[in-house]
Amino acid sequence: MTLITVQGLRKSYGACEVLHGIDLTVAEGEIVGILGPNGAGKTTTVECIGGLRMPDAGMIRVAGIDPTTKDSELRQILGMQLQQCHLPPKITPGEALDLFAAFYPDPRSATELLELLGLTSQADQRFEKLSGGQQQRLSIALALVGRPQVAILDELTTGLDPAARRDIWTYLQGLAGEGMTIVLVTHSMEEASYLCDRVYIVDDGRIVATGTPDELATSPGSQTVTFVPSAPIDPADLLRLPGITSAAVDHERVTVLGNAAAPQTVLAALIARGITANQLRVTGPTLDDAYLRLTQEN
Amino acid sequence: MKATAALFRNEFRLLLRNPAVVIWTILIPTAAIVVMCLIPGARQPLPNFGGLSVIEAYQPTLIVFAATMLALQMMPMFIGQYRELGFLRRLQTTPTHPRDLLAAILALVLVISLVVGLVLLTFPLLFGVGVAGRLALQSLLLILVAASFLAVGSMLAAVIPNPRVASGVGAAVAAIMWFFAGMWFPRALFPGWLATISDWTPGGAAASVLGGAAAGQTIGAQPLLALGLWTLVGFVIATRSFRWV
Repeated sequence: MTLITVQGLRKSYGACEVLHGIDLTVAEGEIVGILGPNGAGKTTTVECIGGLRMPDAGMIRVAGIDPTTKDSELRQILGMQLQQCHLPPKITPGEALDLFAAFYPDPRSATELLELLGLTSQADQRFEKLSGGQQQRLSIALALVGRPQVAILDELTTGLDPAARRDIWTYLQGLAGEGMTIVLVTHSMEEASYLCDRVYIVDDGRIVATGTPDELATSPGSQTVTFVPSAPIDPADLLRLPGITSAAVDHERVTVLGNAAAPQTVLAALIARGITANQLRVTGPTLDDAYLRLTQEN
Repeated sequence: MKATAALFRNEFRLLLRNPAVVIWTILIPTAAIVVMCLIPGARQPLPNFGGLSVIEAYQPTLIVFAATMLALQMMPMFIGQYRELGFLRRLQTTPTHPRDLLAAILALVLVISLVVGLVLLTFPLLFGVGVAGRLALQSLLLILVAASFLAVGSMLAAVIPNPRVASGVGAAVAAIMWFFAGMWFPRALFPGWLATISDWTPGGAAASVLGGAAAGQTIGAQPLLALGLWTLVGFVIATRSFRWV
């Protein structure tokens, strides 16, 4: 079931249009990532979905609710983590969670959230004394305390250490498994690959690609085969093979790029010529490559 | 209701963690009245104070001092900081509107101003200074006085986005209120034109009604009207021009 629908979303700040028509959908229980360079319009998009900004044009529905008119209904089902947000300096994580818990009818237990986000020993420390990563984990906890049906998380784990990131990812996957829908703004391809069922790549206020992280990564031209041949080989011969997009030699090492079948094609050609491929390496495509290609094309 | 109560409790706790608030708005005015009560000379009625003692003559000034420190100098700073930190925006993402936080802050400042004001009015009664029978009227006037300063403070918090500037302007406005309330120069010695201006400021009107009530005089309509107008105008401007982000 589609839980979030965005159609033709446009938004300008002054004379500058930052969103030129965004379309996206998120299904119930899905974790969807929004990727893109700085200034691409990711935060503006999620802030429009979250009802914090008024779109200039377009249609948004979150569980059937129009965020532009039914703000109070939206607040009951939506938890948001904002990119730039600080709590009062002298509040403690325990107090902040108790305070936010009082806003919702059936909140999660503060103790449980503190433990899951590794803040138990900081529960009584003042916000101003927490590290950046601890403040951020508290911010995630506050977004989840009301048992939201939809969570919008902007820059989820930026600045967290790898172990803490894995813990939070595992926790969020568990919540998605229970039916919570998550929209994630991120810069981290690792985070998107690990966590997201689907990603949208936004560039300059437009969606430039969408799909599962694997689908995007395995788009054509991204398999890399490198080896040192036992006898010299002409790259031009390799380039004539089907599905090969480039071939080059550098200090005896041959690098061939091609489609998903490229490794097999290259090896077959080498065997046919009686050449052995030493130090063979086949590199699968990554979301990083796809992201860079997609965002640099524009 | 649960949310508003939680916000109120939270703001109260945070306020108590702020030494400046506790010292300037609670400890110093209370200490001043306690010290004055311990000085026998300050308890004697004086003919040149219209039969009032030094304590009674200074009570309105102290009340104005405590209320303005909190409502004019500190409250606009707290609200501005919440805006600057993004805390108001953060609350906007929850079922609680940030206006509930402002309501909690205003209620808290009002309650503290009233409690401190009542301490300043009742403590001297233990030393036989003041008339217990006038306390009811004085308490009613105290609410109006505190509300008018709260309204002016809210207006500053609304129209000045920068918390440090708001606090600075608030401090300057508070000092002017103290002047009109007669903290540095007795109001009785103001020339006619200055007295007229003074009577239309919240500080002057506050001192006028509180002083009058202490002396058992009939309270004129003019200072009540002045306080009422400041309250109304302050809150209207504040609600119309308040910026959430």
